[in-house]
Amino acid sequence: MTRLLAFAALCAVAAASSGCTAVRPWERDALARRDMAWDPDPLEAALHSHIYFSKEASLAGSGAGGGGCGCN
Amino acid sequence: MAKASRRFRRAARRRALRGLPRGRVLKALTSSTLALPGLASHADELGSLGIEADYKYARYSEDRIPSSKVTPGGERDRYTIDVNQVHLSGPITERFKLDLDVGYEVMSGATPWYVVPNPSGGQPLQVMTGATIDEKRTDGSLKGTMLFDRGSAALSGGVSVENDYLAFTGGLDGERYFNEKNTTLSGGLGFSIDRIEPTDAEAFGRNSEEDKQTVSGFLGLSQVLGRETIVQATLQYQFDNGFLSDPYKRALVEGVPVPDARPDMRHQISLLTRFRHHFETLRATLHADYRFYVDDWGINAHTFEVAWYQTLWESLRLIPSFRYYTQSAADFYAPYYEGPRGDNHYSSDYRLSPYGAISWRIKAETRFQIWSLDWIANVGYEQYMSGGNYAIRGVSVENPGLVGFDMLSAGLTLRF
Amino acid sequence: MTKLHPTHSRRARGVEVLALLCALALASTAFALSTGDRAPAVKGPRLDGKGELSLEAQRGKVVYLDFWASWCKPCAVSLPALDAFRKEFGEKDFAVLAVNVDQDPAKARTFLSLRPVGYPSLNDPKGLLPVQFGVETMPTSFLIDRHGVIRQVHRGFRKEDIPELRAAIQELIRNGR
Repeated sequence: MTRLLAFAALCAVAAASSGCTAVRPWERDALARRDMAWDPDPLEAALHSHIYFSKEASLAGSGAGGGGCGCN
Repeated sequence: MAKASRRFRRAARRRALRGLPRGRVLKALTSSTLALPGLASHADELGSLGIEADYKYARYSEDRIPSSKVTPGGERDRYTIDVNQVHLSGPITERFKLDLDVGYEVMSGATPWYVVPNPSGGQPLQVMTGATIDEKRTDGSLKGTMLFDRGSAALSGGVSVENDYLAFTGGLDGERYFNEKNTTLSGGLGFSIDRIEPTDAEAFGRNSEEDKQTVSGFLGLSQVLGRETIVQATLQYQFDNGFLSDPYKRALVEGVPVPDARPDMRHQISLLTRFRHHFETLRATLHADYRFYVDDWGINAHTFEVAWYQTLWESLRLIPSFRYYTQSAADFYAPYYEGPRGDNHYSSDYRLSPYGAISWRIKAETRFQIWSLDWIANVGYEQYMSGGNYAIRGVSVENPGLVGFDMLSAGLTLRF
Repeated sequence: MTKLHPTHSRRARGVEVLALLCALALASTAFALSTGDRAPAVKGPRLDGKGELSLEAQRGKVVYLDFWASWCKPCAVSLPALDAFRKEFGEKDFAVLAVNVDQDPAKARTFLSLRPVGYPSLNDPKGLLPVQFGVETMPTSFLIDRHGVIRQVHRGFRKEDIPELRAAIQELIRNGR
């Protein structure tokens, strides 16, 4: 599992650094879906984050942006 | 020994009846980290046009502590919390939007106080505080985001209030798009200033108020890998300084309960990786997250989370999910101490003990239109279990205070 | 004979392939048509299946060429606005040529059934036209004068854009003979 994730991270870095344009602006149908968001339900994400943060040692924080429909 | 513990229990009950809040727990439960950057990212591209209003109610109930784990006659009912969250977001101008979050919680119950050896030689026992009644916490935060063609920048601030706790938070974060928005770089800085004024300060002979300051930062990269796939990696760092102990907890040192005493500084780092993939033919989306955490108190932790978003009949979505968590212990942690420590750090808090946790969740969501407005209603249930046996590495003595809970939640979203 | 290089793991080979593909992909840079360019030919089937649409058929009129999709949130605002322009300026002088780029045209038809407009859309699920025009974001529209020359490229859409667009269309109608 960690290997797969390491590879995925590597792909991300490789794609980003070489300017790979995988998806054009009009091809974002699936990416624009609400269930493709990092947090489709932000209140739930915040609630879970706080609950786990209160009983576990880890940091709260749900990460960065990106993805989505890319519309202006 | 029994007399001393009875006296402590009575004192705790007195404090409890006077409404002594398990402030730390509540504060931690719905922490003021709400306004720290990178958290509660309503960076939902879909909502960037209109106005959205969300409400969620959740009832969180901790399992009773098993009688085998608690001292005889000890309080067994643990925490129950009713949480209300409201979120409003809307555009102020074409390039500026505002997000408002308000939370209100009511909680009651007993919490772990300190751990004692088992007189019959088995696993250690938990001494619980007396039950508290209806403590309340209110928090609010505001975030303003400027939208540009190639990115965005946001400023946020928040406040959190309880009868014994006050916290102010602020943050600055931004995003920059590259490669036709296939790549997004984001980063942010945040701070938090907390003040705790524990009721009954004289009972543990400290200052009547204690402060804590936190600074944090994050750096994230997200990449579109295909029409249906995105990945993200976020590095987060946090530095805490000040009073980091729990004023309502004790640790047993050579048979005597002493105040919980943790270092006054802490460095924490976490790396979060997230993956999203949509299966068009199955009408489903997979979410998979992994987070690695490490700090300078000796704790390292791993979190794995998977969720499956299954769309049925256009307007219904069913979302089962599973989470696995494992952590190691803090260097200075022990259920109780046979002798003093050179660094004078003591804590028997289960949150610093080695353990693992498993939780499964099921959620159902439906969308509909009334008065030509878009509505989404959802309801969810979660069950969480923790124990030494769930940890990735064997745990010889698990903390008796490890908790399980279940939670029922219901929410409503309106978009117009 | 000893091997000079260690056998590559599958993972390392995968990264090599990815790097090569990315290098090749770099060759295809994004280009975009802009003001002063002649609009290329636009022709395709209607979304509702009732025939064909083309830019050529609107020669002599001011044309608002609009690339839209059902998943594009600002399009919920732009479509009614364009319909209002169509009613205001009349069929003789003005036309909206809408190009829908939904990969699944059924989703576009559902969108239109909830927010009907009086002008038809061209069905381009493979996204061939956006490539030709160099669409950089969604939605994007091209204001084309009576002689088929692009006079304005409009990226994104906000309610605040409407007065400025109306003025531009009016001017092109008045001065375009």
